[in-house]
Amino acid sequence: MKPLLSAITAALVAGLLSTAAYAENLILYTSQPNEDAQATVDGFEAAHPGVEVEWVREGTTKIMAKLMAEIEAGNPVADVLLIADTVTMQRLKEAGELLAYKSPEAAAYDAALHDADGAYYSTKMITTGIIYNTSAPMKATGWQDLAKPQAKGLVTMPSPLTSGAALIHAQTLAGISGLGWDFYKALAENGATAAGGNGGVLKAVATGEKAYGMVVDFMAIREKARGAPVEFVFPAEGVSAVTEPVGILKTAKNAEAAKQFVDFLLSEEGQKLAVKMGYIPAREGVALPEGYPARETIKVLPVDAAAAVKNSEADLKTFSGIFGTN
Amino acid sequence: MPFVLGAVFLLSVLPLIRLGWAGFSGLTEGEGAQVLFEPATFAALRNTLLTAAGGTGVSLVLGALFAFAVALTDIRGKLILSFAFMLPMMIPPQVTALAWVEMSGPASPLLKTLGLAPPLGSPQPLYSLSGIALLLGVQHAPLVFLAVKAGLAAIPRDGVEAARLSGASPFRVFRDIVLPLGVPGLVAGAAIAFVSGIGNFGIPAILGIPASIETLPTLIFSRLASFGAATFGEIAMLSTLIALISASGLLLQQRALAGRDYRLILSGASAAFSLGRLRIVAEALLWVILALVLAAPLLALVASSLVPAYGVPLNFETISLKAYGEILFRQSVTLTALGNSLFLASAAAIGLLAITVPAGYLLTRRRGALANFLAILIEIPYALPGIVLAVAFILTFAAPLPLIGLSLYGTIWIILVAYFSSFLAVSLKPVMSAFLQMDPSLEEAARLAGAGFFHRMRDVLLPLVAPAAGASVILVFLIAANELTVSALLWSAGTQTLGVAIFNLDDSGSSDLASALSVLVVILVIALMAALEYFAKYLPEGVLPWRN
Repeated sequence: MKPLLSAITAALVAGLLSTAAYAENLILYTSQPNEDAQATVDGFEAAHPGVEVEWVREGTTKIMAKLMAEIEAGNPVADVLLIADTVTMQRLKEAGELLAYKSPEAAAYDAALHDADGAYYSTKMITTGIIYNTSAPMKATGWQDLAKPQAKGLVTMPSPLTSGAALIHAQTLAGISGLGWDFYKALAENGATAAGGNGGVLKAVATGEKAYGMVVDFMAIREKARGAPVEFVFPAEGVSAVTEPVGILKTAKNAEAAKQFVDFLLSEEGQKLAVKMGYIPAREGVALPEGYPARETIKVLPVDAAAAVKNSEADLKTFSGIFGTN
Repeated sequence: MPFVLGAVFLLSVLPLIRLGWAGFSGLTEGEGAQVLFEPATFAALRNTLLTAAGGTGVSLVLGALFAFAVALTDIRGKLILSFAFMLPMMIPPQVTALAWVEMSGPASPLLKTLGLAPPLGSPQPLYSLSGIALLLGVQHAPLVFLAVKAGLAAIPRDGVEAARLSGASPFRVFRDIVLPLGVPGLVAGAAIAFVSGIGNFGIPAILGIPASIETLPTLIFSRLASFGAATFGEIAMLSTLIALISASGLLLQQRALAGRDYRLILSGASAAFSLGRLRIVAEALLWVILALVLAAPLLALVASSLVPAYGVPLNFETISLKAYGEILFRQSVTLTALGNSLFLASAAAIGLLAITVPAGYLLTRRRGALANFLAILIEIPYALPGIVLAVAFILTFAAPLPLIGLSLYGTIWIILVAYFSSFLAVSLKPVMSAFLQMDPSLEEAARLAGAGFFHRMRDVLLPLVAPAAGASVILVFLIAANELTVSALLWSAGTQTLGVAIFNLDDSGSSDLASALSVLVVILVIALMAALEYFAKYLPEGVLPWRN
């Protein structure tokens, strides 16, 4: 029994030590794809050698559910959040969960890109447009093309139940005259599917399971650069956009490192890192990555942020109603 | 004795009472009850029953074919056939699903490389109810195989020979002797396959979610993942629903096994039909099936871990080890997940011995109502779907623990406790069969010589159980290292397991990384099974499922 007991004790102690060690680190909850999250963390750790970052990736809505469950259990694990959209951040701010922090880097940004109290800061612009497989018969140029008979059964999109960007996208298109929820109904009748996150859409279209999809810009443009048979289109009517904001939780155990993380993302170095990964930077004066048209030619559709906060639940229900359970 | 009872109470009774209570209060207060009348629940229930039933059919055909061939005929290579046929059960379901997706449909790098890929926009055939049913069938066919084989192994050569000598044709022997003896095994196997199909999460998650096909486990998962703690009431209701369906399946299995007693025929060497010239045909058929359900998907998995981008065929110019480099040397999540899975699996495997050794001793030495009751309590958490167990543990440990105020929810410890509960029965089986095969006179002699309980335990019993304990450790380790369903609901920052990491990589659109990690996991599984096989001669009989 003795060696057995000591083995168990050793295992338990090792486990305790490793959980205790997390307290020294910065814990990041993010919705970036794994490779980008790792690259962001690597860049930050290189700039701040004293800090080790532990990170978790999930779609924005799933990360939020996890966080809310942790808050309810009285033990929020995350220090800093880097998620798809400001609407979700605004809701957290209104619930009093975010720390107000005035970053010195904010001066280089358009004031519309961060919260006036410093609760959250936009780090980049991520638009949602159309991706199509290069062997698809029709070259889609606008949203309405996806409802045409040529695209019957060939369209897919991310579900707002998983992706923060997808929720804002749906809310944006639903608020545009000429599109609206009727457009989504037409898509559903045309056999379009909506499930999972942007990654699934990219995969489905690039591999030819589907011909057309709605997807975030950087994924499609980057995969095309790697040799995948896809094209990305900024549709004629305009694109929706989210700004991937970063915010610090009020309960952060390591608020100092969290502030350094925010400053790093907003700094010129952090913004260049984002460009290297293929994102449109939020900071003024930083050039767009390759594969994008000029910044001023991208037409971003407006969205009513206050209404988006208020109607999120109802919009989710409307969307699920149109596309079935998912 | 009090220690064993206390442990079983904590690991089995408490969480189930908590779940039942949450389900019951949801029903009486009407808050969660309305979920039972939502169309989504009906659809999920229907999908769950359809896929589980379809899967059971596939499992029955595959499992019975292999069991009859291995147990009753003179085909060659039975051990290697059984070993390979057991593999799908040991491979994590989400890896099976990924592998099959990579094998079929327009997305397949394997088919693209061979120039056989279906045209653009062809639906992925596996993203459907029948796709889910097919894979459930493959995943759980080994369960039918084991149940049927156990029944057929009892058919003695004498009985068959006597029948043949008195002029019975092979067909009559099959109809009148083999089939009746095989039926309880078939029914029991079907019931286990059905219950496993009801509770499977990995396969409907990978195949169903992209096609908006929900089963009860994935419905629970996506409710909890997207709406969080607010849905505890609804989730308890849905879990109770799954638990009820599973329980009825298990009752059926018990009835099948507790049926008639066949020990009438004298014992002897087991029967073997000589197939003659048909033997080569039978062998070829079995190997072709294995190649289709096992080798081809795994090859596709390897192929998709080697392509640089989606939609690119694999050849000498495009082949790339980038995915392996990324998961091994850049992604911190892989190492975290690997560390967590290894810690959880070894802590569960070794820690459980502290419960199963005294429990195994108790259950074999002391028979009676209490021991039977204990055995059932140990069996329940293992038989229940992982998702039900996970929900029960969330409900039990969501609030900080009373008295000490420590919160388990959101830490690695809640996963460990759930693993203890779920794998207690797996750990117990080898230890118990070792105790059963032990001659009680040894212990009697030691007792007469004046050795006390702990003394006897240390000097007589433990050395004799040691090989079985070793097998128990490896078996639990193997299953726990690949676990997905329980950890998918219970993980949080820094506590991802390998199963969660694979699922999440696929979900974020990095299926090359998911495939690469899956390939490594499959290699780990085969290595562990081979280690068990290597030590087989030191182990008590009946411990290794692919041996007799």
